[in-house]
Amino acid sequence: MTDIADQEVIDIGNLDVEAFNEFAAAQGWSDGMPLYVPTEEKVAKFVDTVRGDNRPYPPVPPRQIVPTLQSLAANAVMAGCKPEYFPVVTAALRGVLDPEYNLHGTLATTHSCAPMVMVSGPIRLALGINCGSNCFGQGWRPNATIGRALGLMLLNVAGAKPGEMDRSTQGNPAKYTFCFGENEEENPWQPYHVQRGFAPTDSVVTVMSGEGPHNLNDHGSTSGNGLLTTFAGGMANPGANTIYGKGPMFVIIGPEHAATLKRDGFTIETIREELWKRSRVHVSRISEENQETYVTTGHKPDGDWFAIGRSPEDIHITVAGGPGKHSAFIPSFGGTTVACVRVAV
Amino acid sequence: MLIVNPTFGLAAAAGPTVALKPINWATDAIALMSNSKPNARELLEGMKAKLGAFRNVDNIEFHAKNSASQAAPKELIQAVAGKYRAALLALGD
Repeated sequence: MTDIADQEVIDIGNLDVEAFNEFAAAQGWSDGMPLYVPTEEKVAKFVDTVRGDNRPYPPVPPRQIVPTLQSLAANAVMAGCKPEYFPVVTAALRGVLDPEYNLHGTLATTHSCAPMVMVSGPIRLALGINCGSNCFGQGWRPNATIGRALGLMLLNVAGAKPGEMDRSTQGNPAKYTFCFGENEEENPWQPYHVQRGFAPTDSVVTVMSGEGPHNLNDHGSTSGNGLLTTFAGGMANPGANTIYGKGPMFVIIGPEHAATLKRDGFTIETIREELWKRSRVHVSRISEENQETYVTTGHKPDGDWFAIGRSPEDIHITVAGGPGKHSAFIPSFGGTTVACVRVAV
Repeated sequence: MLIVNPTFGLAAAAGPTVALKPINWATDAIALMSNSKPNARELLEGMKAKLGAFRNVDNIEFHAKNSASQAAPKELIQAVAGKYRAALLALGD
């Protein structure tokens, strides 16, 4: 008899939804929350949305199998996506398969990282992706299910089973889902995907293996300069991987903070430069043992200061969220990249 | 009811088979490879000391990845494969 793992289509008899969920959990297919049933009919509707995208998928690490569109779509169905979300999910998957993203390392690490999925361009509005108030939180089906679908693919296709291949010490709630849209309408600078060379009319998915968002609260500062002091203080984190793993990070600026910075003449480039200068960590905040480790692995301090990345270009900046005096810092795994993929629609 | 298996995929093509040659642990050159995590170097120093109890260790040398979080670059792997007959890996964490 053929093992279930070797069958693309499985006959589960007359299982109802609850019984299917028990079956799926027993197979190790679940993230712990209820799943939709990936019937052949539902999967076919999802696959139809990406028929024009014929680029082959490479083997997915760590498991090193080449998925089919059907098996990828089954994960999106189970996550609760609508069919029209599927091109965004597959773009996110292509992003994490960028060799520089280091999917194997980011899945097998003891670090808490999860794939951050940011959506830019017209498809945000077409799908109703939340870019405003509570954009990192609950309440919007595309945000909830697109990120979840990618997480299920990493579990079921990549093989990142918690406690087995996924060795994260504590994990991170963002492993359930971490998807949001840029607030391009209230971004006084260029949207992120345009900063990266895409056209404003392109729909683009950006992925980074990151921690959850760290809040940057500043109700008191009335100047851009003051805000950057607060931001940099929140970023100067001796416990983040980026202090020695040296990699990218995002600063997601809330619209009110962005308006203040713009009013005071700051650009993306000058914000990046200022944050780079001000977010260094003094050696007094780093243990002697860690200082020795960092130096012996090639991460030397500049005088008495450790930088939190390789250069100002490691600090990626955009705008998201709604009214309020909050922004967010998202440090990455370190040995990864920020990958952008145009949605094939 | 028919469902699609969310884990289904095709096995990637296997790489070329490498024929391993016999190793003489008493004399051959050995690389001590660190994954660049804390304590990996200490593990390897212990291995070198143990080996030193019964052999010359002049041709036993330390190497490390550039980054603890990324795979070793191909150039490093090729250099180690070209110079040594064996490599001992230490996975500190």
